[in-house]
Amino acid sequence: MALRVLTVDDSKTIRMIVKKAFKPYDCELMEAENGVEGLSTATKEKPDLIILDITMPVMNGIEMLDKLKAESALKNIPVIMLTAESGKDNVMKIVKMGVKDYMVKPFKGEQLIDRVKSFLTLEEKKEGESDVNKIKKYFPADEDVQFLSIPAKLTRSVIVDIEGLVNPKLKEISKAGIKKFIINLIQVEQVNVSLIKLLILAAKVCKSLNIAYRIVCTDVLQNELKGFQETSAFPTHTSIEDAKANF
Amino acid sequence: MEKLDDLDVNGFISNTLIDVFDTMVSMEVAPAKMDPKKFAGHKLIIGSVGFAGKVLGNINLLLTYDFARIITAEILGMEEDEIEGDEEVNDVLGELSNMIGGDMKSRLCDAGFPCELTIPSITSGKNFKVESKGWARHESLAFKQENYMMLVEVYIKNGNN
Repeated sequence: MALRVLTVDDSKTIRMIVKKAFKPYDCELMEAENGVEGLSTATKEKPDLIILDITMPVMNGIEMLDKLKAESALKNIPVIMLTAESGKDNVMKIVKMGVKDYMVKPFKGEQLIDRVKSFLTLEEKKEGESDVNKIKKYFPADEDVQFLSIPAKLTRSVIVDIEGLVNPKLKEISKAGIKKFIINLIQVEQVNVSLIKLLILAAKVCKSLNIAYRIVCTDVLQNELKGFQETSAFPTHTSIEDAKANF
Repeated sequence: MEKLDDLDVNGFISNTLIDVFDTMVSMEVAPAKMDPKKFAGHKLIIGSVGFAGKVLGNINLLLTYDFARIITAEILGMEEDEIEGDEEVNDVLGELSNMIGGDMKSRLCDAGFPCELTIPSITSGKNFKVESKGWARHESLAFKQENYMMLVEVYIKNGNN
């Protein structure tokens, strides 16, 4: 079974380094940008490991760790703390808080993996879980239209997977001359922050590559998207036929 | 507790910057003499972190936007044209500043100057000058990486705590 890893860091750079480090292994990566988001994801997803940064806005890593240790269902999840501060007082404070290990930045992804391997088993990814299969699953194509099919169950790991594939896939279709992109949300019942971020990312990449995009979703979702300032102007349709006819 | 004037700020910063660039960016950087022409007419970017406590201070990492893009691509393992925009460059610069500032903070704490670090901030643009007054020490260190330069400026003074 895949090891479920939650990275909590306000820096996209660090989240990407962690993601890259775990890429060769059978892991399901989840991400959060601060302690509040991290705690909520940890409660919902019960990961096998948390990589936690200290200095973050909204709720820092120390506060999040405190709250984690106070929850009986979460207190045994091993935590590796990331810190830019190597001072002895800081290190002592971290060690006393009951973390499994800590890493002082700067660090290399391989160093993080070595630490994880000292207390957890990391299995190398099998072929069936490669990006090629994920692309087939999320990005079906139909003649001159590329689709992004968002599944009904929108977990963080699904979002992270799709986020990592959107840019290269859109570049690939652009090079191949495909300039129509439909994001199919028909199975999705509710809008959440991760979905909004994903739509904004996809819209931004489409704009930079001159790809026209349309969103297909239910009436309910259409109204929800109109309600957010960031997505209110997105072109939405309630059927694929309608979206295709409106390019 | 050491005196603020006795701290080897230049040594701290040099070692940290070289280590951060080697580990995170796989780039060799070396102390150099600043050539002001290297920044003239270029879009510049500054990553800043502050610290406050028994010592107050600020560290600025200043470089050209072009160099910042090269660093960003290297750290994120992508081609330069895959960088989607300022957000990624700012995030990388912020994180590098945080690492440099974090190490400086640790050394200050170990030397008897406990302090807290701020979240990094980013400034970018053309034709601007950074001036900062009222500090007990101001160190300016230049570093070179092949054709690119960067400048680290450190400002410190005694705090009230």
